[in-house]
Amino acid sequence: MFKKVLIANRGEIAVRIIRACRDMGISTVAVYSDADRRSLHVALADEAYHIGGSTPGESYLNKEKIIGAAKKSGAEAIHPGFGFLSENESFADMCEKSGIVFIGPSPEAIRLMGDKITARKIAHDVKVPLVPGSDGAVSDVEASVIAAEIGYPVMIKASAGGGGKGMRLVRGKDDFESSLRMARSEARSAFGDDSVFVERFIERPRHIEIQIIADSEGNTLYLFERECSIQRRHQKVIEEAPSSAISSRTRKKMGEVAVRIAKAVKYKGAGTIEFIMDQSQDFYFLEMNTRVQVEHPVTEMITGFDIVKWMIRIAAGEKLPFKQKNIVMKGHALECRVYAENPETNFLPSPGVIEYLRTPSGPGIRNDSSIYNGCEITSYYDPMLSKLIVWADSREAAIRKMESALREYIVLGVKTNIGFLIRVMNNDEFRKGKIDTGFIERHPELLKPPVLQIEPALIAAALSMSSAESAGQPAQKPASNWKLFGRRSGVSRSPLA
Amino acid sequence: MTYTFKIRDQIYKITLEKEDGQLQVEIEGRSIPVDFEKIEDDLYSVLIDGKSVSIGVFRKGKKVQVFIEGELYELEAVSEREQRKTSHIVSGIQEIKSPMPSRVVKILKGEGDEVAPDEGLIVVEAMKMESELKSPIAGKVKNVMVKEGDAVESGAVLLVVSSE
Repeated sequence: MFKKVLIANRGEIAVRIIRACRDMGISTVAVYSDADRRSLHVALADEAYHIGGSTPGESYLNKEKIIGAAKKSGAEAIHPGFGFLSENESFADMCEKSGIVFIGPSPEAIRLMGDKITARKIAHDVKVPLVPGSDGAVSDVEASVIAAEIGYPVMIKASAGGGGKGMRLVRGKDDFESSLRMARSEARSAFGDDSVFVERFIERPRHIEIQIIADSEGNTLYLFERECSIQRRHQKVIEEAPSSAISSRTRKKMGEVAVRIAKAVKYKGAGTIEFIMDQSQDFYFLEMNTRVQVEHPVTEMITGFDIVKWMIRIAAGEKLPFKQKNIVMKGHALECRVYAENPETNFLPSPGVIEYLRTPSGPGIRNDSSIYNGCEITSYYDPMLSKLIVWADSREAAIRKMESALREYIVLGVKTNIGFLIRVMNNDEFRKGKIDTGFIERHPELLKPPVLQIEPALIAAALSMSSAESAGQPAQKPASNWKLFGRRSGVSRSPLA
Repeated sequence: MTYTFKIRDQIYKITLEKEDGQLQVEIEGRSIPVDFEKIEDDLYSVLIDGKSVSIGVFRKGKKVQVFIEGELYELEAVSEREQRKTSHIVSGIQEIKSPMPSRVVKILKGEGDEVAPDEGLIVVEAMKMESELKSPIAGKVKNVMVKEGDAVESGAVLLVVSSE
C-alpha cells in the first residue's frame, strides 16, 4: 500500500479522499491555489503545497506544478478526484512517466471514453444499445439528413461536450439550422472543438447510471444503479440509489452491459456508465465517466462498499476479493447537492462568506462538505457547499429523513438552494417517483417559497437589533459555584478553606 | 422599541417590549405571543404562539439576514428619519402592490377617496397574517384593481394613488 498520496483537487472531494487515506493509514498531501489557503482540505492534510493562482488554469489544472508537488513531497500516487484533471489523458500519462501512480484508469481508457464518438463506437461494438443517431461528427448537410431520418425531436451534441454545453434540442426542421450553428459556436468556445453529432431526443427521459469497479486483473463488478434525473441546467441536483423506476431484471441487464463496456477498454478503478432510459425501461448508452462521481456516496450507502478506498487499493495493485454475487444492496439512499445559488434567479451562483453554519446530523445522515463558519465561497470554483446524503430502509423513509435533515441546516451569508430542495422533497410527483430530467423545468413553482415567513423573520431581525443595542452592557451570567469557591479560596489563602 | 424593516420592497413595523421579563411583540398592530432564547451569537430559538423555530440571524449594519427553514430573508432596517424623508419625496402616481401571494381581505378606500400619508388603503392576508398596506403619499385613490376575496400574485397592483 502507498505511504503517501497527493490529492490533486479541492473542496469536499479533496476532504473525502483525505479522510479515506487517513482511515487507511496513508499520509496525505494537499495542493492549493491562492484562493484556497484557508480551505479545509489544506488544514486536514498532513502536508500542503501552493501551486499557483486562483483560476483553475493557474493551479488545479497545472499538471507540471502538481507533479512537482508530488515529487517534492515524495507522494507515490495522485488521486485526481472529479473535475479538473480527473479525465485528462495527458495528465495520467505524465504521472505514469514520472513514476507516480495515477489513481484511476489507464491513459488509454481515458482517451477512448473521453471522446464521445469513440465511446459510442465501442459501446456499439459490444452490442450496447445506443440512442439512434449519427455515427460520429457530422457536417452541416449530413446532420440535417440524419435528423430527418431519425425523426424530430432531435438533440445536437458537442463531440467533446459535457455539462450541457454545446447541446441543443430541436423540435422541428425549421429550427434545425440555427440550433446547429449555436451548438457549434458554444462547443467551439467551451471545448475548442466545434464537431457535433445528432441523435434522437427521448421524451421524459430518466438518467440512470451504473457504478462499476474493476481491478487490474480485469475483475469487474457493478455496484448497481443511481438515478440522477433531477437536474437543473443539465446538471444533477438530487441523486438516489436504487432507482424507483427499474425492475431487478432491468437492473441486472444494465449492470451486465456496463461491465461489458468497462471490459472493452480494460478499465481499472471506479467508473460510471451513464444511460438514458425511456418510460418503458428501454435504456441507451450515453457516456462513461472515467473517475469517481460526485454522487458516489449514495452507492456507498446502499452497498456498504467504500468506493474511494477501493480506488486507492486497486491503484496499489490489490485484487477485488469479492464476486458479483457478494454485492448486495440494502435500503435507499438520497443525495442533495447544497449549492450557494439562488433558485429564484435561475440558480445564479451566490458567492460570499459563510457567516453562520449549522449542519444536520443524526442516524443515517452524512454530510460531505468542506465549508465551515467564516469560510469564503469564491466565484473561482463550483458553488457546491455540501452533499447531504441520507440512508433509510425505504425510499419513502429516505425522503422524510432528507426533508428533516434539510430543515436542520442553517446557512447565513450566501443564498442557498436548501428551501428549494425541501420543496422538492415535499412534491407529490417526486414522492411517487414520477421523475425525469425535465422535472425542475416542469415545476417552476418550486423555485420560490409559496409563503414567506415574514413574521418570524421580522421577530428575529428585531431581536438581533435589540440585542446589539444592549450589547453595551453585556448580560453577565451569574458566576458558577466552582468559580465562587475558587475566588473564596484564593482570597482566604488557606489551603484548607 | 419599534423597528421598521424592508423585506422584498415592503415595509413592516415591529414593536418589542419587555414586561416583567416577558417579551411583547406587535407586528403591524397585531400582538403575537413570543418567547425566545439566544443560543449562539447568530442563532435564536423562538417560540411563536407555541410553534418552535430555530432562526439564524446575521446583522451587518442596517442589513439583516434571517434564515428560516431553508430560506434566506434579506431585511433592511429603515430609520424614522429615512421613512419621513421618503414620504416627503414620494409624490405623483403610486402603485400599491401586493408584497407576496395573498388574498384581499378588505378594501378600506374606494376610488376617489382622499387619503393622508400612512393611511390604510387595503388589507391583505398571507400565511394567516393580515397586513394593512398604507398610502405612501397624500392624494386620492385613482383606481382600485381588485375586489375583496381576490387571490393576488406577488407584485400585483392592488390600487393606484395619485397626489394630483
